[in-house]
Amino acid sequence: MAVPAALSPVQDEARRRLGGKTGRRFWRALDELTGQPDFAQAVAAEFPTAFQGLSEPGRRQVLKAMAASFGLAGLTACSDQPDAQALPYIRTPEFMVPGKARHYATAVTGVGGYAQPVLGTTHMGRPTKLEGLPGHPCSLGAADAFTQAAMLGLYDPDRSQTPRFQDRPAAWSEFDAMLAANAARLDANQGEGLRLLTGQQTSPTFARQVSVIMQRWPKARWHVLEPINDDLQREATRLAFGRPLQVLPLLDRADAVVCLDSDLLGPGPSQTRNARLWSARRKAYQQGQGDHRLFVAEPTPSLTGAVAQDRLVTGYGRIGAVAQALAAELGLGIAPQGLTPREQDWVGQAASALVAVKDRGLVSAGAHQPAGVQALALALNNHLGSAVQRLIEPVPVPPPDGAASFAALAADMGAGKVGVLLILDANPAYAAPVDSGFIAALAKVPLSIHAGLHRDETARRCHWHVPLEHDLETWSDARAVDGTASLIQPLVRPFYAVRSRHVILENLQGRQGVDGREAVAQTWQDAWGGDFDGRWTQTLRQGFIDGSAAAEVKAAPVSSAAPGGTPVPEELELIFRPDPSVWDGRFANNPWLQELPKPLNTVTWDNILAISPALAREHGLANGDVARVTTNGQALEAACWITPGQARQTLTTFLGYGRRLPDQVGDGHGYDANVLRTAAQPWRAGGVTLAKAESKMRLACTQPSQALSSDQDLVRTVARDQATAPKPPKHQALSFYPQNTRDNKVTSPSWGMSIDTDLCIGCNACITACDAENNIAMVGKDMVAEGRQMHWLRVDHYYEGGPDTPTDHFQPVPCMHCEEAPCEIGCPVGATVHSPDGLNLQVYNRCIGTRTCSSYCPYKVRRFNWFDLTGKDSPELQAQRNPNVTVRSRGVMEKCTYCIQRISDARIQAKIEGREIADGEVKTACQQTCPTDAIVFGDVTDPKSAVSVRKAVTRDYVLLEEENTRPRTSYLARLVPGKGDA
Amino acid sequence: MARSVTAPKPANLRKPRPPSKAKGGQTASYEAITETITSIPLDFPRPKTWWAMFAGALSLLGLYLLSAGMLFWKGVGVWGVNIPVNWGLDITNYIWWLGIGHAGTLISAMLLLLGQDWRNSLNRFAEAMTLFAVVCAGLYPILHLGRPWYFYWMAPYPSAMGVWPQFRSPLTWDFFAVLTYLTVSTLFWYIGILPDLASVRDRARSRTAQVIYGLAALGWRGEARHWARWRRTYRLTAAIAVPLVVSVHSEISLLLAAGPVPGWNSTVFPPYFVLGAAFSGFAVVAMLAVVLRHGLGLEALVTERHLDLLGKMTLVTGLMTGYGYAAEVFTAFYSGEPAELAVLFDRFFGVYAFAYWGAIICNFAPLQLLWFGKARRNPLALFAISLSVAVGMWFERFMLIVTSLHHQGIVSSWHDYVPSFWEWSLYAGSIGLFLTLFLLFVRFLPIISASELKSDLKATEVGHA
Repeated sequence: MAVPAALSPVQDEARRRLGGKTGRRFWRALDELTGQPDFAQAVAAEFPTAFQGLSEPGRRQVLKAMAASFGLAGLTACSDQPDAQALPYIRTPEFMVPGKARHYATAVTGVGGYAQPVLGTTHMGRPTKLEGLPGHPCSLGAADAFTQAAMLGLYDPDRSQTPRFQDRPAAWSEFDAMLAANAARLDANQGEGLRLLTGQQTSPTFARQVSVIMQRWPKARWHVLEPINDDLQREATRLAFGRPLQVLPLLDRADAVVCLDSDLLGPGPSQTRNARLWSARRKAYQQGQGDHRLFVAEPTPSLTGAVAQDRLVTGYGRIGAVAQALAAELGLGIAPQGLTPREQDWVGQAASALVAVKDRGLVSAGAHQPAGVQALALALNNHLGSAVQRLIEPVPVPPPDGAASFAALAADMGAGKVGVLLILDANPAYAAPVDSGFIAALAKVPLSIHAGLHRDETARRCHWHVPLEHDLETWSDARAVDGTASLIQPLVRPFYAVRSRHVILENLQGRQGVDGREAVAQTWQDAWGGDFDGRWTQTLRQGFIDGSAAAEVKAAPVSSAAPGGTPVPEELELIFRPDPSVWDGRFANNPWLQELPKPLNTVTWDNILAISPALAREHGLANGDVARVTTNGQALEAACWITPGQARQTLTTFLGYGRRLPDQVGDGHGYDANVLRTAAQPWRAGGVTLAKAESKMRLACTQPSQALSSDQDLVRTVARDQATAPKPPKHQALSFYPQNTRDNKVTSPSWGMSIDTDLCIGCNACITACDAENNIAMVGKDMVAEGRQMHWLRVDHYYEGGPDTPTDHFQPVPCMHCEEAPCEIGCPVGATVHSPDGLNLQVYNRCIGTRTCSSYCPYKVRRFNWFDLTGKDSPELQAQRNPNVTVRSRGVMEKCTYCIQRISDARIQAKIEGREIADGEVKTACQQTCPTDAIVFGDVTDPKSAVSVRKAVTRDYVLLEEENTRPRTSYLARLVPGKGDA
Repeated sequence: MARSVTAPKPANLRKPRPPSKAKGGQTASYEAITETITSIPLDFPRPKTWWAMFAGALSLLGLYLLSAGMLFWKGVGVWGVNIPVNWGLDITNYIWWLGIGHAGTLISAMLLLLGQDWRNSLNRFAEAMTLFAVVCAGLYPILHLGRPWYFYWMAPYPSAMGVWPQFRSPLTWDFFAVLTYLTVSTLFWYIGILPDLASVRDRARSRTAQVIYGLAALGWRGEARHWARWRRTYRLTAAIAVPLVVSVHSEISLLLAAGPVPGWNSTVFPPYFVLGAAFSGFAVVAMLAVVLRHGLGLEALVTERHLDLLGKMTLVTGLMTGYGYAAEVFTAFYSGEPAELAVLFDRFFGVYAFAYWGAIICNFAPLQLLWFGKARRNPLALFAISLSVAVGMWFERFMLIVTSLHHQGIVSSWHDYVPSFWEWSLYAGSIGLFLTLFLLFVRFLPIISASELKSDLKATEVGHA
């Protein structure tokens, strides 16, 4: 090859170096080839992380590294150092019986940082199931779907497992060294430039640690970013009472509740509490005590709206006007103009209901409504003398800057005032308001540290990422919405090299080797003083601290004048709501929640843009059509879902999707609604334009048909005065065939279930509980779209009436355990058979998968393993499984068993103790977690059992009675006002 | 079919006398019959066409193996089935193939016992068709299992754990019915072919052929005792086979009718299925008759009269099937059951209405041409009508399975069904399996019963003497 004669000196040098070399040699730039020192510097400056690998190791170094690698590889054969107190099984520890579950009372921090108390079940050290903690004064023994799913969060294979620096694995020792050096520097300047960013916190230990840090470094500051927050409620109480307070509704006392876009029964930290109290009142009402009326005015359908007697569908912006009209009707302020007749009518009805029940009425405005509207609701309650709400000091630890907390941080970061930023359990890179400029500002922070469970959007943008312990493997504490404090104790030692958030806070102060338990114990030692040990042990056993609920605050209203909001002209508006499955995105990596059908629309794995039927018709949009929503110069494209009961001019977008988590389960589902959410307008955006985009998205919903078929008598209603009437004896038709051959052989116990559709609020907690208890496989979006979801229990949802103002009905459907089961006839190999105690059993190892049972099942409660859904599960997921429930293989049918493993447990226990199984001793997983006690299970041959009592009233009915399958699962009809009701 | 090619006719073909009712057409002498039939396996007239068709059939068979392999490897999930439509093309094709496999026994056994001699030109290949169709059908229930490797659990074998099949299940009886049908059909077919295998053996020139055909002929020498015993056995087997014609498809229908599924749970199903099966079976026999007659130059043996009679049988069974349709609609209205009516209207107007109207149109519209003798005797017309019937009956089975399931039970679980690629490929592959077997049969075995044709001729001669 001819070489041009004239070459630069550099090229000459290059040629010289290349010449005479054999073999392949690669070079990146001529400068490198010529060995210019400038080049090394340039690389080091531009690619600091790459520079490390640039210097070529010599032969000796390579050999050394190899020897070290081999040596270190051998070390991995040694296990982790055992716990200081761990002992080998020379003698079996007391109470440790293989196959016997152990239970620990603890709590998980749910949404908003509030404690959700749980009773954790472990099998041989593996946590497998969480249940509501009986006796807890706030949750009252129930648990919501988020809490149930926390179990899977522990075993999430995508959890972060090691510290990372510059997004490469690093050692904790490096992290410790870095923080120690940092602490010394901060000591010198009183913590100037140190910022702590967290989600909302209720932990007393956290509060103590932060105050310790603030004392040591007075110039450090703490900020809070909670995307779904109660800031406006605090503002409203400040307007009404002169100070920020927390409002605690006492629904068990409420005879009439008026909700102004307030989803009291919807997902959130208070769901279990509110639902329990509501159902307590509802059950009394069913027995004929007093009135129980619920009026809801809302722009987008909610679970509270679904159970309301009178739901007004109106825009978000009109709620203020409706509130003012209600106030005027009750004699407070002046009625606004321009209410529609329907709104006026609703206001009149609601007002008269409130007046009728005197102090047993409550007006509740949603925490995302303008503070003025909420303050008006508080004023109305004062005006009515309502005894249905309690004011308490805010439970979350208040950040110094209050609501402006995050904006202040972002501004300081942008201004270069932040030297060290520790982000603890928050994900601002995803959830920050779009106008905060957080991501750009983060790049200006010299040292950013993220501590969290996942390597999320923020983790990837910070210098350091360190993994945190999950609530089920950590020592901590937290408060429930009523202020009751729980101690969080680990059910298991951490699987990975992770640290508790309290330890991270200690590390920040340069302290190493701290134990998380000590940090928590310190807090309570300070609080309790003497007799710490006894109280500590007792609290760990009980799970919560007696009498730690926040005391009621007697606050006098500062002004009687009704503030209220200014009526907004009806325009196309966009409102932001947390997603019922993944909330603000924190549960995006949890398949149990992703595959949980969202209440009302049953969509899984995606968020949708809720659009009213009328608006959809106007724009020619169908379900799954992608629409382009523009506001404030920002735009997003979202898949539409035509939502009956949606206000005509309101679009609802759900937060928590559009996550960018490469290689993780939660990556890329749905769209990110945060791009339209600004700090000034976190809940509503006006000036919206809607246009149809060309594309269409496949949405996976579990219930494509939600219209009640007129042929099927699935949902029944009974007048309230008939609610307790005994069931008329069943008419026995003459027949040639022997009647009910099994009836002669019925022995006690014989199991049955009763589901009260009047109590069901469609919260889906039962489905998640079933997932956890029965090792239900998750199948992913595509399979759900094909109709192959595996849930043993589903909550059917039906619309009744017109699409603009429909009535909702929920109906949980487990296996009916038919006495004359068609499936048992169909199976050619006897894989589904009847047990003496009335259960319809499925014998997995006998099943060959003809699917005849499912073809014959009128209720379609059977689920089939189309593929091997479990064999390739990671070891983490396998560890979560309940050892008492068979993991199903490919090609077999499965279905609800009435939690037969729990029945067996109770039977064995009863036999050992030589007694009958007591009523209520067997609680199915769905029943245990149900926040409204809608599900009751027990022995139907015992006339005194709770289930028999329920089945004895005229409200009791079975699904598809005409099929003559004689189901053991029966339903109680919904109540409608009868004679004597308003 | 290419009409231009005709096979050379044997030279010594005489102007024959009609076997029973003189109606023109051609028949042949003893030697000519034997010569014509046995020369096919020994000296195949159109090897190139055969090879071309065989290659096509084999590639489809390859597709079958691939689809089944995919199915076994991954699971039933590769199909489009779901809850509630957990049966799709699998059971559709199962019933379709089994229906086709119906006409063979009907033609052979029932018409033999009834003394309908015209069957003799058709029975052999009709029986072969039955066998192969039953093989195609019988594989489907195994393939459709979630755990196909345990299919033998359906059989009542003395298991060490003392578990037996569940005898109330229609599937258990399906298993027995199909197995019995396959066994008896094979026996009947093999007994029938014995004398002809001996004829082929006697005429075989190569040693290999002599040995193979000789072994297959089981030492048949044409003795009077052989003939006497043969005739007794043949008629006895026929007598056993005839009830099976009714039982097999009645049993299959119970797979659907025994379930509390609107659209299935009907007492009309057993006769409806038997007639429908005979209908589709006759149609496919007619298609094969037209093709074989033309392709192998058997116009002298499979005469226009046979086509005429096949046309009539197809028409008759078709009208009976039509009665079944009408009865089904009538029953739904007569019962007034909302669920039954809902299914009926869904079939008329729902997403799968194409299957219902496809069945109605393909089954009954072209069928009306068979009222006319000209259409019945025109091979091309008969072929086209029969093809339409085969397609129509497939639609019918698809409609029965899918429309009843996709809107069955509680409205919340309704879900539609779209067959996946692997379902279609398995179906195409099963046609390949059938064609492969049938082409091998055509190539290597006497496709028409020479002995019976000759005895038929004899009987006519005696009658005229």
